Amino acid sequence: MSKIVIIEDTETIREELKTFLITYGFDAVAPTNFENIIQETLNEAPDLILLDINLPIFDGYYICREIRKQSDVPIIVVTSRDNEMDELMSMNLGADDFVTKPYNTQILLARIETILRRVQGSSMRDTVVYNDLKLNLSNGSVTYKGEKAELTKNEIKILSCLYKNKGKIVSRDDLMDFMWNADVFVDDNNLSVNVTRLRKKLEALGMEKNIETRRGLGYILP
Amino acid sequence: MTLKEYVKDRTVFLLINFILFIIISGIMILVGVNIQIVFLIFCIWFFPLIIYVLIEYFKQKTFYNEITSITENLDQKYLLPEVMKEPETVEGKALYEVLRQANKDMHEHVKSYRDRENEYREYIETWIHEIKTPIASTRLIIENNHSNVTRNIKEEVKKIEEYIEQVLYYSRSNNVSKDYLIKEVSLAGLVRSVIKRNSRDFISKGISIDLEKVEGTVFSDAKWLEFILNQLIGNAIKYIRERDGKVIIHTVQNENNIVLTIEDNGIGITEKDIHRVFEKGFTGENGRKFGKSTGIGLYLCKKLADQLGLGLTITSKIGEGTKVSIIFPLGSVVFMQ
Repeated sequence: MSKIVIIEDTETIREELKTFLITYGFDAVAPTNFENIIQETLNEAPDLILLDINLPIFDGYYICREIRKQSDVPIIVVTSRDNEMDELMSMNLGADDFVTKPYNTQILLARIETILRRVQGSSMRDTVVYNDLKLNLSNGSVTYKGEKAELTKNEIKILSCLYKNKGKIVSRDDLMDFMWNADVFVDDNNLSVNVTRLRKKLEALGMEKNIETRRGLGYILP
Repeated sequence: MTLKEYVKDRTVFLLINFILFIIISGIMILVGVNIQIVFLIFCIWFFPLIIYVLIEYFKQKTFYNEITSITENLDQKYLLPEVMKEPETVEGKALYEVLRQANKDMHEHVKSYRDRENEYREYIETWIHEIKTPIASTRLIIENNHSNVTRNIKEEVKKIEEYIEQVLYYSRSNNVSKDYLIKEVSLAGLVRSVIKRNSRDFISKGISIDLEKVEGTVFSDAKWLEFILNQLIGNAIKYIRERDGKVIIHTVQNENNIVLTIEDNGIGITEKDIHRVFEKGFTGENGRKFGKSTGIGLYLCKKLADQLGLGLTITSKIGEGTKVSIIFPLGSVVFMQ
């Protein structure tokens, strides 16, 4: 489980972001005391840092620079300033990415995952396993008990979204949102077609219990 | 200033001389002075007088011609007193002094307004910066408490964000240089990110989109472009027909420009309204019908496009749809205003 430190002074955002990241399977830590923030953050040995710019005592730029002196941990700068200059400055100080507030949480999540995947090596995070079904995200194939099938881009997106929410019902709307955020602009009919096709492919592999439809609610990977 | 006008201006002076001469010559003729002597006196009197008037005329004419031509060539006319040579004549000096005074006063006046406007704009920008924090928390709260209710709230929050963004760009629209960064912008990437921002509307209204032919890169400010595009796509969504709505976005590369066109099959704009859509506060028939239009969106787009050195054109047919094109000039350096 990746550990993320949130350096943010607005309490609501700090707490909600923490809850949000924990829901999505991260180990989130949000320090509330900013006097020793740099040492405290480094002591946590995080895998990634979300850093606000406007902070009490030290500003984000200073913290970013100081952390860079001691560690190579990925830093995503999160700020409500949307100036290009701020972006440039953050990048020059060694930040890995820059997200402006108010951010789309799914986009923030996607950026976190991208950076973690890059840092932690692709092999680990590119393959996910679900009930003997191996999903390889990088080459778009699934393997079930030795049988292999190729998936289209849309099918991979659908499957990975359902996988992320395994055991929970994903509404069609949420699924659409996810797809659109991933640059796949499907319409309603298209989605149904893709899900049906995906289900058939999985059945052909011999996987009997795969995607279920909950009428009026959405899809679920049990 | 013609000679006639100048002489007309000196009528009294010349008239007095003439009357004086006639009286004197009358007296001289009465006392029996030779008529030739009277004529001689006439010449001695009037020759230098006329020369004097002519010299004065040419002197004044050159002076006024000079300042008129300077004024005509000046971009900012009020700079005249700074640019003109200080005149030597008394009248010229008085004029110069008055001009300078008036100018100085005007500058002070303008400065006080400018300061006030700057202060206001800075306040607005700080305010926008502040309001983003509660919006960001609201979004996170919504995300952590997923339900149908929060989904609706999310929609409303998105609208609030759009309006806030509009305020920000409105306040910046007069002052580009402060927040402007030219870099290579991929049109496909730009269009995708704007589509994503509006994904909810596209999905819920069942609008299909075609982005097949979007390609090319331009050099411009990505944020400003995104704002313009977002307004245009927002409009397309707003005025689209329910069901089988369709938005087609494509680019055409010409020899010296790239044209990005956003086409919808919406309700269209009537012919009498189309020429006025870029006017500030103009809502037109559609605005009245839908009651949601503020008449700011397109005005702002046009203004920002002008500042970025881009063209913006709109064509529409009632009942068939609207086409908006952004024209990116290529191959030459685009100067900021």
